[in-house]
Amino acid sequence: MWAITIVELKKKLQDKGIWFWTFILPIIFIVGFITIFSGMNEMEPEQLVTQIVPGYIIMFTFFIMISMVITFIKDRDSGMVARVASTPLPLNRFLVGKWLPFLIIVILQIIVLMLFGVLVYDLPLGDPLALMLISLILAFLATSWGMAMSLLVNTENMGIALTQVIALGGAMLGGLWMPLEIMPNSMQLIAKFLPQYWALEGFQSILQDGGHVMDIWLSLLILLGFGMIGCVISVFSYPRFLRQSRS
Amino acid sequence: MIDVRGVSKSYGSVQALNDIQFQIDEGSCFGLVGPNGAGKSTFMKILVGVLQKFDGDIQVFNKSVKQNRQAVKSFIGYVPQDICLEELLTAKDNLMYFGRLYGLSGEHLRKRIRTVLDQIGLSDKANQKITEFSGGMKRRLNIGCAILHEPSLVVLDEPTVGIDPQSRHSIFALIQQLKEMGSTVIYSSHYMEEVEQICNSVGFIDKGKLVEHGTMKHVLHKHRSASIFVSADGIGKEELSLYGDTIEKKTGFTVNCDDPLLTMGKMIEQFRQSGINPERLELSQARLEDIFFYLTGTQLRDNG
Ligand SMILES: Nc1ncnc2c1ncn2[C@@H]1O[C@H](COP(=O)(O)OP(=O)(O)O)[C@@H](O)[C@H]1O
Ligand SMILES: [Mg+2]
Repeated sequence: MWAITIVELKKKLQDKGIWFWTFILPIIFIVGFITIFSGMNEMEPEQLVTQIVPGYIIMFTFFIMISMVITFIKDRDSGMVARVASTPLPLNRFLVGKWLPFLIIVILQIIVLMLFGVLVYDLPLGDPLALMLISLILAFLATSWGMAMSLLVNTENMGIALTQVIALGGAMLGGLWMPLEIMPNSMQLIAKFLPQYWALEGFQSILQDGGHVMDIWLSLLILLGFGMIGCVISVFSYPRFLRQSRS
Repeated sequence: MIDVRGVSKSYGSVQALNDIQFQIDEGSCFGLVGPNGAGKSTFMKILVGVLQKFDGDIQVFNKSVKQNRQAVKSFIGYVPQDICLEELLTAKDNLMYFGRLYGLSGEHLRKRIRTVLDQIGLSDKANQKITEFSGGMKRRLNIGCAILHEPSLVVLDEPTVGIDPQSRHSIFALIQQLKEMGSTVIYSSHYMEEVEQICNSVGFIDKGKLVEHGTMKHVLHKHRSASIFVSADGIGKEELSLYGDTIEKKTGFTVNCDDPLLTMGKMIEQFRQSGINPERLELSQARLEDIFFYLTGTQLRDNG
């Protein structure tokens, strides 16, 4: 299992695309939007920062799904999936081994972007334990969905399109782009069915209101639940995925 | 012993394998021959536990592929038809990677890597990225990755397709070594002469059916109708067909007949009468390729 994780991480280090999607682009967005909105003077600077920084962090964690789908489809089409399946490595270790590197990257991503917020915009951090917990669960959620999708889709393009829908649609409807209070009631209701909404709720409770683990338990539970769904889908879609592998 | 019990497999409406049944003795080298699309790869993927939905069962050294998949996998080394390596890594790191997947580690793994690198003749290229490797070198490494854990059964799916003669030679030598060390080898190919050269038992597969199998001696003996090879200006397939089943080869024709000596006599008589002067006219023992054609009516390759 570690062998898979290490090799995968090594490959990711050489992949420039992933660095762009995970670190550069979100920073550009965060800086851009904070600059735009602070010119409008409608929000307190602190409120602005605690909306935009976690908002874009949440949105961009889902972009890891692109990198995951590319990796999985490539391994499927090269026959590597079938080749690994011929070794005695148990299925769950294969999936975990493949998934861990992406989890690590997303955790790293959240840390770097948070640090960026702290250093550049004086982002208040709040309870470190609560913050760590929700970051971990968010990373788990994004990567487990990434895996489920990678095993399900037939082509890379389908996966990339679906990622856009999940990341951008979820961001818009989940209130990552603008506070939900200014949206109509029906929209606010829809948001409650999206993990992005609950993630932002959790982050804001920690960053704005000094919330602790007990204050965000509902967010944590819901995110964990969404993540588990991804895991279950992954396990069930693996046999078909393996059958599609060439060679 | 490997005991294949009534294995069938369909992909939708395509029946890739149809009730395959045979045994392979421990320590032998079994050649599975058949044209493209015959079902060789499908059979091998079932054997090594990659394809899990199929009818029938295979017992590998008394363990069922269906019930004991994990155990069976640990003593099989599978070399897939397509090269399956991590392109960004060096040869050594690839071996390290696959060795770990087979559960090897530490000093034992390092030792095995050195041995295998030597066996596949890549010791001096160990630290090169494999993107710089030739097709033949990759094929050898592909095999190397499957024998690190000293499997008692090595399954090679067309390991010599599209490679240079030197690598082919090196792969044959490697299979010879595996045989000497007591491994059972299953080798698929659509090159008959390869199989005749290195295998001691053989199975013919065509359109998903096993049409003949047994030891090489047995199969050659059973279908030993010697044939006549003719190469002559002024004579063609039609005329020769009068003497028996005629197959066109690159430089002439092979005529299969029941009594080759008598037939040859008649041919010589006809040639003399028509003033034909044959370049070659010889009696040849049946080869696997001819037997395959005789049994299935399918040519393995476009030309002989
Ligand atoms: N994944 C698959 N889906 C559908 N048909 C397949 C698949 N793999 C192989 N086949 C079909 O099964 C038959 C046997 O293929 P294969 O086992 O690859 O033959 P060989 O290895 O002897 O060339 C062929 O008709 C092929 O088209
Ligand atoms: Mg094949």
